[in-house]
Amino acid sequence: MTPERAVAGATAPCVSLRAVSVTFEARGRSVPALQDASLDVAEGEFVALLGPTGCGKSTLLRIVSDLQRPSSGTVQVRGASTAEARRRNDFGFVFQEAALLPWRTALANVRLPLEVVDYPADQREARCTQLLDDMGLSRFGHAYPSELSGGMKQRVSIARALSWNPSILLMDEPFSALDEITKNQLQDELLRIWQREKKTILFVTHNISEAVYLADRIVVMSAHPGRIRHVLEVALPRERGPEIRDTLAFIEQVRAARLALQDQTSH
Amino acid sequence: MTSVGRHQLERYGPPLLILFAIVAVWEVTVRLLEVPPWLLPAPSKIAQRFGRTQDLAYHTGLTLLEAGLGFAISAVLGVALSAGIANSRFLERGVLPYVIVSNAVPIIAIVPLLNIWLGFGITTKIVIAAIITFFPIVTNTTRGLKAADPRILDLMHSINATASQVFFKVQLPSALPFVFAGFRIAASLSLVGAVVGEFYGADRGLGYLVITAATQLRTDLLFVAIIVLATIGILAFWLFGLLERRAMHGQGETERER
Repeated sequence: MTPERAVAGATAPCVSLRAVSVTFEARGRSVPALQDASLDVAEGEFVALLGPTGCGKSTLLRIVSDLQRPSSGTVQVRGASTAEARRRNDFGFVFQEAALLPWRTALANVRLPLEVVDYPADQREARCTQLLDDMGLSRFGHAYPSELSGGMKQRVSIARALSWNPSILLMDEPFSALDEITKNQLQDELLRIWQREKKTILFVTHNISEAVYLADRIVVMSAHPGRIRHVLEVALPRERGPEIRDTLAFIEQVRAARLALQDQTSH
Repeated sequence: MTSVGRHQLERYGPPLLILFAIVAVWEVTVRLLEVPPWLLPAPSKIAQRFGRTQDLAYHTGLTLLEAGLGFAISAVLGVALSAGIANSRFLERGVLPYVIVSNAVPIIAIVPLLNIWLGFGITTKIVIAAIITFFPIVTNTTRGLKAADPRILDLMHSINATASQVFFKVQLPSALPFVFAGFRIAASLSLVGAVVGEFYGADRGLGYLVITAATQLRTDLLFVAIIVLATIGILAFWLFGLLERRAMHGQGETERER
């Protein structure tokens, strides 16, 4: 259960980080945000990044998507550079609290990436309508974000991230601002989409049971400096439904993840 | 319909009532105390002067033209400069300080200089109106452009959006409420600029009217000019306030309360 284990084993990784460190310069002082992170994510894998605030989870997503350069170390996406992957439009982002454009309707928000990436203009409208239908929002295409609930906004934001069919989804605490019931619904929908569309997902969260419920593997991180401490395989069947939360196996996994998180705080 | 009428009455009734009371007291006081008209003309006298002032529309139109052109030039240049400042560290550090410092220079002190350079024609007034409106337009627009949601900017960069796509699809729309707030301040300032310009050696415009009326002690004419200027200022303020609220459409939670 050491970081090295995460690198071994996997073959032909989709995302691969080697000894990645990120240092921010703030007021003449250099603050390490991420230190010596190595990780392989397999094609089609669902990986949760679990850790407290300041552990570099979000920084890791920005490194993978080429929004930020690592201070040292290498990152590759399918054997190519992250810049190359970004040029191929490989990355779909979903943020906490949706981050929709308030002056655009739900439909126009989903359409935004299609106006930027190379997508046939005459097919945009149909694509967005279909995505909103699939997210159960067929009646809300012309509603503005201010008229939608938190859960609906997040559905729009997921539809937006799927619109041009990117192969990798980068999700930054997407459900952490939602109530428990909505959160569980969206988790199930995300699993459904993931299994159908065969996406590779990097999912940042600070919610232990969310990580266990969704992920194939959990990358446990610690803060100050941000480090990968443990990588846990989630030993649960892949077909997961709400009832699995009550099983002993699930509770055991949550416990294991919690112990892994606590282990780092004692260091 | 009646509830709408009542709402209007509740909103506009009190200020109209106060205005009416002030005018009435003014009229009665001037008549009872026999205040000389050069000191304070009665409202009825001012109203008569309104009707009798020839070329009032001409003077008003000219001042409006100067203020409007100055404002328009400043708006185009100001928004363009703001786009540069919001997207370039160099421009932000190199130019923005001078825009801010320029605001500290009293415009009245610059007018004679502009007269030397540009003469006493309409150009000088337009330039003054442009200079005086530049600061609020640039500072507000820059702040608005920089207020764009950083997550959306990340999203746009992650899909290789061009600088102009980011500007027109994200930065500018999210800046619109700020832009119109700046325009609203600038609209009244452009009028100030044009009038101040007309104080110095002009032979037409509302500012010229103000100066000549004052020097000849034609106080009723002075009031006419002031009332026209105030009305234009209020209308401009109201118009840009309206545009600002429309730009906010869907951006605030206030939308739901309608």
